[in-house]
Amino acid sequence: MVALAVILSDLLFGMMLGCVFAVVAHGLNLIWGVVKVVNIAHGEFIMLGAYGAYFLNVFGGFNPLLSAVVDGALGIFVGYAFYFSFLHRELRGKERITLRSEMVTLVSTFGLSLFMSNLAVVAFTGDFVGINWSPGTVALGFLELPLGALYVTILAVLIISTSVVFLDRTYIGNAIKAYSQDITATQLVGANPTKVASLATALGFSITMAGGALLTVWIPTGINPYMGALYAPISFVIVVLGGPGKMLGSLLGGLTLGVVIDVLQAFVPVSLAYAVAFLLLIPVLLFRPEGIVK
Amino acid sequence: MTLLVEGISTGYGETQVLYDVSLRTEDRSLTVMVGPNGAGKSTTLRTITGLQRVWRGRVGFDGNDITSLPAFARVELGMASAPEGRRLFPLLTTEGNLRLGAYCRRARDSAEDSLSQVYSLFPKLKERRSIKAGRLSGGEQQMAAIGRALMSKPTLLILDEPSLGIAPILIKEIFETVKELEKGGLSILMVEQNAYQALKYADYAYILQMGRVLRSGTPSELKNVEELRKAYFSIV
Repeated sequence: MVALAVILSDLLFGMMLGCVFAVVAHGLNLIWGVVKVVNIAHGEFIMLGAYGAYFLNVFGGFNPLLSAVVDGALGIFVGYAFYFSFLHRELRGKERITLRSEMVTLVSTFGLSLFMSNLAVVAFTGDFVGINWSPGTVALGFLELPLGALYVTILAVLIISTSVVFLDRTYIGNAIKAYSQDITATQLVGANPTKVASLATALGFSITMAGGALLTVWIPTGINPYMGALYAPISFVIVVLGGPGKMLGSLLGGLTLGVVIDVLQAFVPVSLAYAVAFLLLIPVLLFRPEGIVK
Repeated sequence: MTLLVEGISTGYGETQVLYDVSLRTEDRSLTVMVGPNGAGKSTTLRTITGLQRVWRGRVGFDGNDITSLPAFARVELGMASAPEGRRLFPLLTTEGNLRLGAYCRRARDSAEDSLSQVYSLFPKLKERRSIKAGRLSGGEQQMAAIGRALMSKPTLLILDEPSLGIAPILIKEIFETVKELEKGGLSILMVEQNAYQALKYADYAYILQMGRVLRSGTPSELKNVEELRKAYFSIV
């Protein structure tokens, strides 16, 4: 009975953690799926979001939920800056994104990743910091559920579902989906490809940085310049699990990974749980390269 | 007069494909461009829609010089195309593809009306509205591509090889629909390999060969089969 309770609570916590993972992965998915940029510096932008939440808390008393909103707004600017400084030269006038372009952006974002994490050491020191935020708990049967984690889960689901509705229901959202399938045809229906691609990138960064803020609730003392090295691979695994370019796939992939990690943690050391979770990538790529969602 | 192409030359990299091509379309008329493979028909259309830059020459549309206007901006002015290979968005539904056709500001407010017009023109598309475009048959895809172009409420409709890869029985249907659209007031520029059939419907035609306009005229003027045959078989 106790064991069952442990499993059930791990399952629940895993799903909640998975929702937050899904947010950061969703940001990556948008950029990967639409402008075909495998952003190696993805983890560093999560880190930026987390530090954003930290400083907003220290200097403004913001809780991570509020910070996620501020980070999300900042992320729009960061995303546009990223697009026009890194991607525009490479994508401008292209009728399809070639493998060569993908390699160029992959390698340059790798450089960006190293630059950002090292700069962060200088700017923020290498110390682990955290945000003190505990809005209490709520009793759920045999479980004491921390409210902070619950709020974060709700906001995470809200962020993903809003972006999915935006992509499905608006003209510009549809154009983003269209761009990911055929750039030429997107132009021929009258959509400005630069506007569409830059908006997709901005949205991706906005969601990534908001996700970085939400993550701080799960890692109370774990904000550090190298945190990207863990969360970037997690995001990549989730996107591959869900299928690149499939927006609801991020949520399903995130839930899967969160549950796998949390349930495994009950039996094996934490780092081994992550190792096994990353191992999932291999069978998925071998047997379902299009992702677990059909 | 809607479209006026004056002496355009262009190519890819170092290779010149078009040499001094001029053509025009009139309101409420079907202009057809025929010629063998590699004559430069699709490249001509690419310069007209704005996907291909011209080296020399000028493209005018409704009195505006649009030579250097990007492709997406030309749609707002009333130019729409069903491109070579249809270029539907395979993962969007048929209706999703059609709705995106109304992307430009001019067309958005009347998107619902346009949609029901397209559905009455191509009832098959209504049946297939929630099917992913990638799963449509060749003929259905062509209808969807024309439908998507019509959703932008164009004054000039550009069709690149609408008969390609389509069952013969459907080709006639598509040509007849095109003729109907012309009667509705559209100016249509159509490229076809299927020259004899296309000329039956055309008001005016251009024969392209090796990147040049070989001859132009009304279909009866071009009925001179020798001329057409030359265009098709005299490739060196």
